[in-house]
Amino acid sequence: MSPISEPINQLPKPSILEKLIQRHSKLAIALLAIFIVVFVYGMVTAPNFLTLFNFKTIIRDAALVGIMAIGLTFVTLSGNFFLLSMKETAALCIIAFATGMASGWGFELSFLFTMVFALIAGISQGALIGIGGNPIVVTLGAAGVLYGLGAYWSDNLVVSYRRPHGAEWLGTGSFLGLPNITVAFILIAISAELLLRKTSFGRQVYLIGANRAAGRATGHENFWMAIKVCTIASVCSAFVAIAFSAQVSSAQVNYFSSEFGSSGDMTIMVIATVMVGGNSIMGGFGSTLRSSLGAVFISTVDNMMVLHGFNSGPRVFAVGLMIVFSIIVFAILRRGSRSEE
Amino acid sequence: MAVEKILSFIKQKPDLMFAIILAFFVYCVFAFTNDYFMTHRTTFAIMERFAVLGLVGLALTLCIIAGEIDLSIGSNAALAAVIVVRFTDSLGAPTALLIAVAVSTIIGLIQGYFIAYLRIRAIVLTVGTLMLLRGISLFVAEEKTVMLTDFRIPDFITTKVLWYFSPASLTVIAMFVLVGLFMNFTKYGREIYAIGGARKEALAAGISLKRPMIIVFAISGFCAGLGGVIIGLRSGTAQALGLQYLLLAGTVAAFIGGVSILGGRGGVVGAVIGALTVNFLNTGLVFNVTPAFMVQLYLGILLLVVIMFQTGSVIFEKRQRRYQILKDIDNRRERLKKEMKGGAQP
Repeated sequence: MSPISEPINQLPKPSILEKLIQRHSKLAIALLAIFIVVFVYGMVTAPNFLTLFNFKTIIRDAALVGIMAIGLTFVTLSGNFFLLSMKETAALCIIAFATGMASGWGFELSFLFTMVFALIAGISQGALIGIGGNPIVVTLGAAGVLYGLGAYWSDNLVVSYRRPHGAEWLGTGSFLGLPNITVAFILIAISAELLLRKTSFGRQVYLIGANRAAGRATGHENFWMAIKVCTIASVCSAFVAIAFSAQVSSAQVNYFSSEFGSSGDMTIMVIATVMVGGNSIMGGFGSTLRSSLGAVFISTVDNMMVLHGFNSGPRVFAVGLMIVFSIIVFAILRRGSRSEE
Repeated sequence: MAVEKILSFIKQKPDLMFAIILAFFVYCVFAFTNDYFMTHRTTFAIMERFAVLGLVGLALTLCIIAGEIDLSIGSNAALAAVIVVRFTDSLGAPTALLIAVAVSTIIGLIQGYFIAYLRIRAIVLTVGTLMLLRGISLFVAEEKTVMLTDFRIPDFITTKVLWYFSPASLTVIAMFVLVGLFMNFTKYGREIYAIGGARKEALAAGISLKRPMIIVFAISGFCAGLGGVIIGLRSGTAQALGLQYLLLAGTVAAFIGGVSILGGRGGVVGAVIGALTVNFLNTGLVFNVTPAFMVQLYLGILLLVVIMFQTGSVIFEKRQRRYQILKDIDNRRERLKKEMKGGAQP
């Protein structure tokens, strides 16, 4: 920590901690401190937590939610809040994929078939949001429609296909000791980050999210942006649906609902991931890297609680607490900055 | 005279008229296609459903009037249901009911306080509390479906009073009247409209954000709690992960009732009509043996259609205003030209 140049003013330089406390509220620091203490305590005391195998498990668990969260991050960054239809898009897509596989179309054709549905869902929702519909309400309605369509198509039954199938490599295969789904998560995270940082599309996402009026003035309407980001989110949902279906060789429309899994509703988990990562819900601030880390973080806490032997109630509670915590902390930290409004 | 009055009413409140016509239309469709729909018993059943859905619709209407939306309403209702069913056996129904509603109201109050204090959008916080409250209800219910053992309470709640009503629906109607009076005739009610319709102007005019926000979310929590209690006591069971459909149904009811997502518009009468419409649809579809997911599908389509109408009308109004401004500018320019010509001639 040697200074490169002479400090301009002669006042004693405040330490990092002092700076933090000066700049931000004490409440935020206190909350963070409590959290870190609990986290470290849990990490040290949990049996078998600090092992390589467990680390791999954490990343694998984070992968599905993480991929969806990366898709949703684009929507959030572009200032369109979030989509409440992530789980329902996945539900329709999982039915489409399983129907394709059960009809013996093979992996590639079923994949394309599923993506058609994802594109339709994404583009139609994006268009509705783009013309000025509120994203929350539009996707709440779209969620009902998509789920209803999936249930109607599958008659609310399980669609299953036999084990030696073309999608097995995605669900249960592994590459260099890592499950393929983990590899996919890492690849998608890297490419999404590159897309956001290095392409003009990525910069437009930030521009429209940070200042919609400026975006419109420079010729970047939210209409096309909403369509693009919703399509990205839907495609990510569809990919997760395909990966999940490949794991279990079957599909039912409620696979992503909270009645099925123990760790809560998938849509809310995805939104939680985006928020816990510290992305600004109002748009313009954040990155997909934050969402990926958020997914890993939530998965770590969940894993720790499982190792401590908690039931699903406290685990759902913990995720909810993490969201509320991160909202409060980030709201206090950003107080007075432009990304607050 | 009467016709003129009606016409002026339609011109004043086109949203409400649209809602009434839609409700009437939905009712007629089922009344003509199903023989059992237009009977006293069905009306009683509709009112029973209205008790819950009306409450949720009312809560969401208030939130949307204030320019926010409460996503945690299903979780809050589920928590109240779980609490009341869990503690009725040990504490008796009235105490358990009071505890459940009080807990829900306090949760709403805290939410409102944090939203105003942190100056964040309600959707952000309520997504968090959605999950948090599910966790709490799982915890209270010990991850099981809790059940009543004494079934005299469900019987009492569903006794028929005055042909169409039960104690539950009468309470809800009283609640509607109270909230309607509150919203229209008190200062605090008008503040809620103010922070929804024009928040910056309202804040500049000296209205604090905290008070209306806390009131809105406390009422929302109260309504959710009461709805959850009614569902829990009526069916005698409660699940911690249940009641997720309430958010969609309540939002549809609120939007049919004529609230605008931009805030500041709509009212309690609209909420009643919206909730009734959703109820007609729901009950009619149940009568025609439609599976639950299809009901969700229809509700989703209804919501999308209403939203599209609303967005379309907003875009239309904006365009109209822009044309008006352009026209004004043109007129002024013409006048200026004439004046200049007139000035140049002599």
